[in-house]
Amino acid sequence: MRADGALAALDRWGRAALPGSVLLFFVLLTLAPLRAPYLSDTLPLLPALVVFQFSLATPERLPGPLLLAMGVLLDLLLGGPGAPVGVSALGFVLIRAAVVANRRYLVGVPFLFQWVGFCILMFGFVALVWAFTTLWTWTAIDPVPALMQYIVTVVIYPLLAPLLARVRARDPLNVPELSRGTARPGETTS
Amino acid sequence: MAIRDDFEVVAGQVRTVVQRFALGLLVVAAFVIMLIGKADTVLVEHARVVALDFASPVLEAIARPVAYANRAIADLKEFASLREENARLREENSRLLAWQTAARRLENENEGLRGLANFREGPEASFITARIVGDSVSAYVRGALLNVGRQVGVAPGQAVVTGEGLAGRIAEVGDNSARVLFVTDVNSRLPVLIERTRERAILAGDNSPRLRLTLLQSVAGVQRGDRIVTSGHGGSFPVGIPVGEVVETSEGGVRVRPFADFSRLEFVRVVDYGVTGLVGGTGSSQPVAPMPGQKAR
Repeated sequence: MRADGALAALDRWGRAALPGSVLLFFVLLTLAPLRAPYLSDTLPLLPALVVFQFSLATPERLPGPLLLAMGVLLDLLLGGPGAPVGVSALGFVLIRAAVVANRRYLVGVPFLFQWVGFCILMFGFVALVWAFTTLWTWTAIDPVPALMQYIVTVVIYPLLAPLLARVRARDPLNVPELSRGTARPGETTS
Repeated sequence: MAIRDDFEVVAGQVRTVVQRFALGLLVVAAFVIMLIGKADTVLVEHARVVALDFASPVLEAIARPVAYANRAIADLKEFASLREENARLREENSRLLAWQTAARRLENENEGLRGLANFREGPEASFITARIVGDSVSAYVRGALLNVGRQVGVAPGQAVVTGEGLAGRIAEVGDNSARVLFVTDVNSRLPVLIERTRERAILAGDNSPRLRLTLLQSVAGVQRGDRIVTSGHGGSFPVGIPVGEVVETSEGGVRVRPFADFSRLEFVRVVDYGVTGLVGGTGSSQPVAPMPGQKAR
């Protein structure tokens, strides 16, 4: 049984909307004209980091269709003429699927394992986007900037991940055991 | 009771099936979107414009904190090299003053000669000053978002200049936003002239900081330090906007360093040139002269 009342409902709604909102924020942040050296290069990869981190914590609040929409929005905002629209969406969906399938190795393990997992998945994401962009535009695109982006993102992951994970850590404490729903599709797979 | 149980069982089965194929469906959906984007470019352009107009107010809202952060970073960097910077600026200032004198003299002379030759001036270029509210710089795109759009007369294809020279061209326009494609973008092709030899060429970007000069009739005539300016061929670009200078000539090709410093762009000007025509001297001198004063403020 759910605890009823306006506040509880608001709380539920807020919590349900949080991962999506954070993701949307980071998608929009990719356009922010930040002039920090190295850091600004990584902005386009941060949404993928958010997808990874929230897929670890609460995949049920980051449903696939939402990821699809966010990925398309990111591609629309980021891409110039000719860039493939939907490749980030594909990447996001695959990241979520990979994380959900490998929860056993990624949740409740030392942080180093998560980091390694992040490195592997993110490399796949970067390679996917690069390959699709190259194929789509049929021009040889220098992979070095993409690699630099990847390296910096991997390095700043330990700074950002605990911050995002903190959002999640409060969740079981805030919610009374009874008021939690039983249907948690993301959880059933592990 | 039994019916309800049955229903729940069926619903559970359906849910299981959907869950099992959810990933496949999503992947297929992503591919479909990509294919649609490839097939119907007009639709995608429209969607891009809508997305830009959606994101533009948000970016305006976070522009201030971002600007503060940028200023702090720039301050930190400049603090270290204050003395050198000062000396460099003083030297540059004296050099520019000399040029100003030369420019005034030439302008007068030009006017006089035009009067003599009964020269008909082309349409006057007007400028729309815009703030850069967003970067669209990634590993694959070099561009920026501007806070001006169709409402003030920005149109695709217009030139975007900074104080130093050409930055790029308008690629997409929304109601209150526009996307600039920098000359360094891999999609950028620009008809140019080599100022010294008046030879035509195409300046192509490849997402690296250096531009590639292609379709030259002869590479031999190009020297290091040659200035590259727009030729005004095939579009709404004014003639003679400085673009960059040649920094490398080798067998592999001619490399050009753009004058515009893309890492510290804050304000740019969109050149509204009306129809095609000849601007003559004003196209080259106007974007250069007033801008440094604006930037210093």
